[in-house]
Amino acid sequence: MALATTVEQVDGPPPVTVVTLDGELDGATYERVIDIVRQAYEAGARKLVLDCSKLEFVSSSGLVAVHSAMRIMRGEAAPDLEQGWEALRAIRDEVDAGNVQSNLRLAGEQDGVRKVLDRTGLGPLLPSYPDRASAIASF
Amino acid sequence: MTPTEARLRIPAELDRLADVRRMVRETTRAAGASQDCVDDICQAVDEAATNTIVHGYRGGPGWVEVAVAVDGPDVVVTIEDAAPTFDPRTHAEPDMAVSALVRGPHGMGVHLMRLATDRLGWRPRDGGGNILTLVRTLAQRPQED
Repeated sequence: MALATTVEQVDGPPPVTVVTLDGELDGATYERVIDIVRQAYEAGARKLVLDCSKLEFVSSSGLVAVHSAMRIMRGEAAPDLEQGWEALRAIRDEVDAGNVQSNLRLAGEQDGVRKVLDRTGLGPLLPSYPDRASAIASF
Repeated sequence: MTPTEARLRIPAELDRLADVRRMVRETTRAAGASQDCVDDICQAVDEAATNTIVHGYRGGPGWVEVAVAVDGPDVVVTIEDAAPTFDPRTHAEPDMAVSALVRGPHGMGVHLMRLATDRLGWRPRDGGGNILTLVRTLAQRPQED
């Protein structure tokens, strides 16, 4: 299964951008998600929901995309993927620092995806809501 | 010998990982694995194959062969490649904090591989390469802390 993505603007206040991930987020698809979030930020998005209700799988490379989205939405540069998967080191620093996110929220992630987020320590840093409507309303 | 339920060899390309996960998912489901097990073994196999493609072959040509077998209460997955030898057991400490585990490029993947399996075996392959064995109970595990 590949990954299908959609980007949707929801009028505010505050305006919220919803990126829906449908399929599997792995080593072949994660860079596309980073590009989508970067483009949304550059287009003015400041509140972002990752709708994970249709996300069936996430690998450690997928977590690099989630972490990059965290950084981009804070106005920071995403980790340089050209440095190889050293980007994973940056996730460690994020977990150590306890950087809970304010501008990026997750919606509807399934048990398997939740398990991976929690096993790596990223889960507690990302506010999560049962569905996209409650995630949008939380801003 | 444990009968092999399914086997798949892919070229060392990231966009073939989905084929491997599909094979592992379908085979373990057919064997009556819990969803918990299906999720975990797909995770572990993906992380192992990704590491082989990215760090073993370094994006160059190669192959990865994945075989799934069911042995009593367990699913046993064997992952074979011809990449430079890498023993993930030397990179995985079960009781270390996450922050300490995410060391170096293999860190996160090996960490997830370890947590998703009950046993991790490794031996060098004759003629060069690696044979990695992942074992996971088919049943649902008790809730993690």
